[in-house]
Amino acid sequence: MNAHNSAILDANIGWLILAIFSLFWIFLGWYWGRKAKQLDDFMLAGRNVGMALAVATAMATWVTSNTTMAAPQLALQLGIWGMVGYSLGSIGLLMFAPLAKRIRVLMPHAYTSGDFVRLRYGKAAWRVFLLISLFYGFGWLISLGMAGGVLIHALTGIPYVYGMSVILTICVLYTLLGGLRAVIGTDFIQTILILVGVVILAWLAIDKVGFDNIHSAVLQERPELLNLLMPAAIMFLFNNLLFGVGEIFHSNVWWSRAFAFRQGVGFPAYFTAGLMWLPIPIVAGFVALAAPALNLNIPAADMVGPMVAGKLLGVGGAILVFIVVFSALASSLDSLLAATSDLITQDIYRGHIRPTADNRELRFAAKGIILGLGVVTWLLCFPRITTLAELLYFTGAFVASTIWPIVAGLYWKKTNANGATLAMVFGTCIGLYSYFAIGFYVAALIGALVSMIIVIVSSLLWPGEFEWSQLQYSGANTKGASQ
Amino acid sequence: MIASVGFLSTIVTVALAITVVSPILLIVLLILDWTKGKQW
Repeated sequence: MNAHNSAILDANIGWLILAIFSLFWIFLGWYWGRKAKQLDDFMLAGRNVGMALAVATAMATWVTSNTTMAAPQLALQLGIWGMVGYSLGSIGLLMFAPLAKRIRVLMPHAYTSGDFVRLRYGKAAWRVFLLISLFYGFGWLISLGMAGGVLIHALTGIPYVYGMSVILTICVLYTLLGGLRAVIGTDFIQTILILVGVVILAWLAIDKVGFDNIHSAVLQERPELLNLLMPAAIMFLFNNLLFGVGEIFHSNVWWSRAFAFRQGVGFPAYFTAGLMWLPIPIVAGFVALAAPALNLNIPAADMVGPMVAGKLLGVGGAILVFIVVFSALASSLDSLLAATSDLITQDIYRGHIRPTADNRELRFAAKGIILGLGVVTWLLCFPRITTLAELLYFTGAFVASTIWPIVAGLYWKKTNANGATLAMVFGTCIGLYSYFAIGFYVAALIGALVSMIIVIVSSLLWPGEFEWSQLQYSGANTKGASQ
Repeated sequence: MIASVGFLSTIVTVALAITVVSPILLIVLLILDWTKGKQW
């Protein structure tokens, strides 16, 4: 299918929207970054983020291009359980709420999730964790960069390389200028745009088509979509839930926010974000069920959302979808750039290469690493190797194997370093084996199960006695702190 | 087991109501944080 033929928006309008939002985000990045003179300001927004911005950044980061584009696709493929199953991705945010509170209390000066694993379990576990975390981070970065190019091309006909380059360049620039403060600030605006956009689209579908017509058309043409006992959809529901929990529990994207939020904000912010995120896939996905009633011929399932919007609201609907998708992409891409850069700066550069680096040097290194990450991601996205996008499927086993070492490490003194390391290694290996031997839908489940058994058994057989005070370290060198 | 139109409309309406309230709540929270100088 030629995207030029299926594009719902004129390329010139697409370029205009890209230009307006690019300038806006970059200006905000510069504006908010002016006062980021210290390392804590740049990497963790001064560790004082309030409730409103905290809720919005958690929501926006978890609303990726997948949420806005794949939720309608899943509704069209798996029906009601497809969109409800996708919404269970919010369980990860809800469950991370108490962890965020404990992380902030136990580690008030830390910078990354790697800091926790190093201090809690030692260097072997830390290095295994870094491998998993960086593999996942790069997989997600590449898939987002490629999704940017593919979606901009599909929606407007703008060539893939141009679209991918523009979205990467914008996100790198404003993250570089403003650090986490720019990421969190723009996340707030992007959250509002996404929420308003999906509400308008769902409202139009209800107003112009109606529940009765939507239901009767689906019942006539695709009755399986209304089947509440569809086995594939129920399986998807559990896999998605577990994958989401693993992604959030281990990733520095969420840990860096736990460190950045003001004391006492982490728990209510993540919990509220989870509750507010929960309905978004349902609202965005429901629009797809209007396709049969509108007699739309959908050439590719992932284009159902934009096509229904275009049908209901013409050019206006197409512009709305483009802005929602662009906001969803940018809000996740910037967060991932900042969090992966923090991980490389603290755990690789400072942890392995320059242990004596002062804060001024680290702040400089962080900027260079953001730029480097952007360039590497661009190079890997450039050839549009589709198999790279499938990296994310593999990461199910990787991330799920970290759930138990993280949770037990935060709450259970008896959990020991060897058990945690083996849990991550064997959880990943056996999860990957099951991915190939059985299917993608069991990788996260088996990875988490193996990891859980190893952590619990090893903690009971060889109990450790960890002192929580060991986590209260000063996360960075004080030398140069005011630079 | 086929979902009825009532079931479909109920879950979508509830989801839509929460999504309508969310941006309003976020803006109210931001104003409250702002007035206390605690936005960040």
